[in-house]
Amino acid sequence: MIDILKDIVEKFRGLVTPPNYLSWQTCLLLSLFSWLMAALSEASAASPWTVNLLSTFSWLFLTIAIWWGLTKNPVRVGYVSISPWITAAVMCVFVFRPWTAERLQLAMGFWPVVATILVAIPNFFNWGLDWKLPKPPVRQELIVLLLINLLLSSWIMFFFRIQYWFSEYPSLVAENLGNSAFVYRFGADDSGGSQANILLTSAAESLTAQLDNAPWPRAERWLLNLDNSISSVAKEIVLNEESELVFWSLDAPRPQSMSNGYQIKLRANWLGPTAEQNGYYVEKVCTILPRTLKKRTEGAEDTEEPEETGSATPVADVTCSDQTVKVERKVGLDESTI
Amino acid sequence: MGDLEPIFPFKAIVFQILFLLVAIALEAMVLRQRLRLGYKQSVRYAAAVNLLTVVVGWFAFLSIEPLMGPRLQAQVISYVLFDNLINNTLKPQMGLIILVVGLIAFFITLVLKLKGLELIMRALGAWKMPSRPKELSRQERYTRSRTGTTQYQEAASQFAIAVLQANALSFSAILLLLVMRSYILRSVA
Repeated sequence: MIDILKDIVEKFRGLVTPPNYLSWQTCLLLSLFSWLMAALSEASAASPWTVNLLSTFSWLFLTIAIWWGLTKNPVRVGYVSISPWITAAVMCVFVFRPWTAERLQLAMGFWPVVATILVAIPNFFNWGLDWKLPKPPVRQELIVLLLINLLLSSWIMFFFRIQYWFSEYPSLVAENLGNSAFVYRFGADDSGGSQANILLTSAAESLTAQLDNAPWPRAERWLLNLDNSISSVAKEIVLNEESELVFWSLDAPRPQSMSNGYQIKLRANWLGPTAEQNGYYVEKVCTILPRTLKKRTEGAEDTEEPEETGSATPVADVTCSDQTVKVERKVGLDESTI
Repeated sequence: MGDLEPIFPFKAIVFQILFLLVAIALEAMVLRQRLRLGYKQSVRYAAAVNLLTVVVGWFAFLSIEPLMGPRLQAQVISYVLFDNLINNTLKPQMGLIILVVGLIAFFITLVLKLKGLELIMRALGAWKMPSRPKELSRQERYTRSRTGTTQYQEAASQFAIAVLQANALSFSAILLLLVMRSYILRSVA
């Protein structure tokens, strides 16, 4: 065990120890040294400028070391050396610092192009660093290589464009993507991504705010004038991604009367792209019941409004269920607002 | 942009590679027959030219798509993610829109292939087309008055016809594949 470890350490040392001054191992050690210095200066509270300078040098030496080392010992997949892509990846990380999504997009998009430039540069200079045009067969190879890498860039940017759609319209994530000729989903479908629940909860809150504790005649008037009422509810809906609102429309079928009150269904119609043939809607049931204030004073410990206890006008009591039901439409919507 | 979903355009990549291979094979065949470029060389030219058009097409799509109106964008998203067109007010016009876009794509590809092939051949020093003569020799003037064309025009039109034929062939083949795909999917469903 110890012998194996020793062997590994020996091999590593043999790999890292520079064979002469001008070698990639020197650059690697310089990079390590700069990084250590950066860490030291960070610890000793040096100015940020110093830390930045040192860490930049560390990255720079690391990039050169990897470039140089991979040129000496190319990594091959089949017949193609993928060293330029590895070096380009390190360079893109160094230049773009892709810690945020936008920068990641930029870094990934430029990655293949940077790799092409890395492959092309040695062909445009001779040993004296003089500019020269490569020979025609090499030119042809470089043109095709550039185009292939631009195609890779396009695919990467297309991937990010699709991700942008999903971030803009999160309910699309909950759809079944099996029919697509373009995308493939890894892992199981997750149907939790739809914003229908958020929308209906928000609508129910707005409905409660408008009707709960309102005098019963006003509630009945509200229900009679349902279309206007619902559009006033729809105005107050809040979604996580506001941009998705263009694909939703809220309406409600005629309220059903039950015992002494009414039951209405808040219905969120999805008008956007969907895998369902005729689209779908999601419903949430709310019941509106009259409640006499007498009952309320019994339930509550103290009577805050003693002057109203005498009056017989009942108020509306709104309760919405937590459940929502997703229904596939049998026939398509005749006209869509979008 | 928040988290990235594990959804990748792999099917698009597979289809694109398949269509590129079909187009390159067919166009190389036509270029070899019409322009006598040699077997390997015509495959290389066809590959370069087709890659060029595909890249330009992607860049065009990626720059135009964000500028589309919400109705058209919804149709594009629907086609990409669900392979159907959604039922919005734009749906009756989608057939026309697809036809017009397809025609524009065909002619832009044709121009790109003509210019691209010329540029690549020039870059490789393989451009053997006689340059447009400033002054015609007596012999050429005589030929022109007899046949209506000069040697330059003759060669240029040969070249253009070859590229046009190649482009038409590859477009038809890919269209046929697309139609077959939707036909097979429909019969399975």
